[in-house]
Parts: sequence; structure tokens; C-alpha cells
Amino acid sequence: MEHSKHTQYASSEKKDPLDPGSVFNGHFDGLAERPAGGTGRAAAAPQPPGGAESGSQRPVMESWREERTRSVEDNEMSLPSLAKSYTTILRGLGEDPQRQGLLKTPWRAATAMQFFTKGYQEKIIDVLNDAIFDEDHDEMVIVKDIDMFSMCEHHLVPIFGRVHIGYLPNKRVLGLSKLARIVEIYSRRLQVQERLTKQIAVAITEALQPTGVGVVIEATHMCMVMRGVQKMNSKTVTSTMLGVFREDPKTRDEFLTLIRS
Amino acid sequence: MEYHNAAEMNGSDDYLNICKHNNLCREENDSNDSADANKLSHIEKAYSTILSELGEDVDREGLLRTPLRAAKAMQFLTKGYKETTQDILNDAIFDENHEEMVIVKDIELFSLCEHHLVPFFGKAHIAYLPNKKVVGLSKLARIVEIYSRRLQVQERLTKQIAAAISEALQPAGVAVVIEAVHMCMVMRGVQKMNASTVTSVMMGRFNDDPTTRKEFLDLTIKK
Repeated sequence: MEHSKHTQYASSEKKDPLDPGSVFNGHFDGLAERPAGGTGRAAAAPQPPGGAESGSQRPVMESWREERTRSVEDNEMSLPSLAKSYTTILRGLGEDPQRQGLLKTPWRAATAMQFFTKGYQEKIIDVLNDAIFDEDHDEMVIVKDIDMFSMCEHHLVPIFGRVHIGYLPNKRVLGLSKLARIVEIYSRRLQVQERLTKQIAVAITEALQPTGVGVVIEATHMCMVMRGVQKMNSKTVTSTMLGVFREDPKTRDEFLTLIRS
Repeated sequence: MEYHNAAEMNGSDDYLNICKHNNLCREENDSNDSADANKLSHIEKAYSTILSELGEDVDREGLLRTPLRAAKAMQFLTKGYKETTQDILNDAIFDENHEEMVIVKDIELFSLCEHHLVPFFGKAHIAYLPNKKVVGLSKLARIVEIYSRRLQVQERLTKQIAAAISEALQPAGVAVVIEAVHMCMVMRGVQKMNASTVTSVMMGRFNDDPTTRKEFLDLTIKK
């Protein structure tokens, strides 16, 4: 099986940190202004051997080239083994897998788990490529209260909450639902909330090269609510601010005020 | 398994059935600590397989001990199988000359859908009309815990809670209402974020007398 997004994320650190326009480890080192179209950066971004889109105007950032770790055929082929594992689990818990309510549970649970990790089947590039538009707009765009469902990678128990995304376009805007789709791709995986926040922010940065991106996630972790410390009302809030959201406190304030209203 | 009997519970001899099963459980538990550890390792291996079949990299740092954690979490979420009403109730039933309604509401409830192994959670509201015997209030919440920490179906869960109280106290009436959100409907499938499921069981005077039922519902269900 291919390695997951974890290693791809690490590979983005290989970019030259001195390049003023590059994205280093997801953080902007460069100036707020950069050429619209991003053609100047196509040369700056390291083209990996066998990079698919060297001829296109849009620079191909490494984390876009997520290796697809799963296909629909993979899903079908792993289903029997997954179902068998779930039958073992049912038996290990002291249940009777033959009783009526549990007869098809291994298959249902296996399919459900595959659905909860369908983010491994999808690539950002497929979702975004045709929804980036040139628009003479440089005011903040916010999409808030995006419902998010993920799985805790430590306990395999759901995490759910809301994502608020804001960005300052640099003459390029993104179809609004695509922000929600980016959330879906990264959240439908085995995740850690901190990583999820950063991945969403970096994906938008690399797609649009905006002046700044802010992502705030507030979520409830069932692993804390249903078990362990059992704190019913606790919420975890993480945020990633890139570009001018990080540098300019007024921009950040505006974003945070607007998502709370 | 106890829930089989519980699902058909209607008579008073079912409490004895539970008792019998409880005894069996206890004997098994004494000699089965090593078997428990054995089961844990089976579950752990199963989770390892699941992780690799889902396309994840099982050797990455975040997932190294996940099979063990997930197995322990699953055992915790189904710990209700090992607990019995008799254990928790026997010493907390008091003779009290009280025949008015007693309600404990907004009891948080967390369970696992037996069809998808995905959580459902919500609130339980319990009311009973004591027949000279009252029960310690936290015991009502503990009864909810016993039956909810299992692979469940919300209808059966509601009925089991009602039956357990009915058989322990022989009250003049018992009412249980559960309102829950099912992650199997919210996170997957139809994906309806705001849908919740309400089930109720009314026994004794709550079933027969509409004013009693109305009083319970007025005091419980926030509008």
C-alpha cells in the first residue's frame, strides 16, 4: 500500500526556503504581493521527476500530487478481509455474531469505515482544477460553519465539528463549494485535528496563492466524550493562519469576528 | 445473552432470568482474566488488519499503538455486557412513603449502533411512580449506563431500561424517553445533520392514564 499523506506533507519541506515566493512547510516566507497567474513561480517550484504538469501555467506544488492510496477496486478487494476483522472484534467483545441484529454488521461496519476514510481515494487536483476563476477581488472571502466529520487516528472514534475558512484572494477566487470539498477530502481520513487544520490551509494556499488564508476548526472528540476523561461539553479549537492573516493582526481580528457573528 | 431475553421482557420472572445470567457471568469472569487478555489481543490484531486494509501506513508514528487503543476503547464502549442491574441496585432501594412522580431527566447517553458500530448519543429521561419503594437517583443513571454501553438498537435500549426499573422496584408506572443522534445517519448514508430519533416506553400508569403521561412529558420535554 502506498504511504499516506503524512510522507507527502514532509516532502514539501524540501522546497528552497530562500525562494521569496515559495511556500515553505506551509508558511509564507515571501511578500504579500506576488504575480497574478503565478507563472513566475512555476520555475521556482521544484519540478519532481515525472511531474505531470510541467507545461501548465499553474505551478504544481508537491502536496497536490497526492498519491492516490486507494481506488474503488481496492475497496472491493479489501472488503472481505475487513468484514472478517470486524467479526473477530464482535466475538472478542463477547457478542454473538450470528444473532439477527449482527448478521450483516461486519459488512456494514466495513463499508462504513471505508466511507469514513474515503479521503484517501480523492485528490485535490481532481476537485479544484476547473473551479479557479480570475476575479478582480481582493477582499476577504469567508465560508463558515462547514460541518466536518473525521476519525481520531488514535482511537478510531469519530470527531465532528465545524470548519471556518477565510482567505484574501489575489485576483483568483475559488468556487465556494470547493472549500467544503477540500475539507471533506482531508477530514475523511484518520486524523489529528492539528494536522487537518494545517492541511486545509496549505491546500488552499497552494491552489490559489492568495494573500492569506485562515482556517479555524472547532470540534468535539468522541474519544474524550464517550470514554477516557468523559467531558461532555469540551471542544477543541485549532487554527492555522497563513500570509497576511498571520502577519496583520487587524486582518486576523476581522476574520475571527466575522466567523463568530 | 441477556439482551435476547431483555428484548422480549414483559413479565416479572424475567428479572430472575437476568439474575441467573448474572451469576453465570460472575463465575466466568473470575476464571477468565487471562481469556480477557487473549480476547484483547485478538481485537487488537483485527484492528491492525483493518488499518492496513484501509490503505493506511500502519508504521507511521500516529498509528503505532492505535490497534491497542482502539481495542481498549471498544471494550470500554461495550462494558455494559459485564455489568448487571442486580449489582448496582441491591443496596440502594429504600422504603419511603412516597407515591408521586420522580423524574430524572437529561441523562447523557452514549451507545454504539449494532448495525454499523458507530456511536449514537443523546439524552434519556426517566420517570417512575414509586410504590412505597424509591431508588437512589444515581442508580437510574447507572442503569442507563449498563444498557447503553453495549451494541444497541435505540428501541431495545429504551425498553431494557424501563423493564429493569420495573422489575427492580415494582413501581406503579415507569416511563423512559430517549432522544438521540445517530452518527450512522449523520456521518454517512443519508447524512442528515440535524435529525434525531426519539423513542419512548410507557409502563403501568404512564400507559393507562393520559394525564400522568402528559404531566411527565410536560415536565421533561423542553419546548
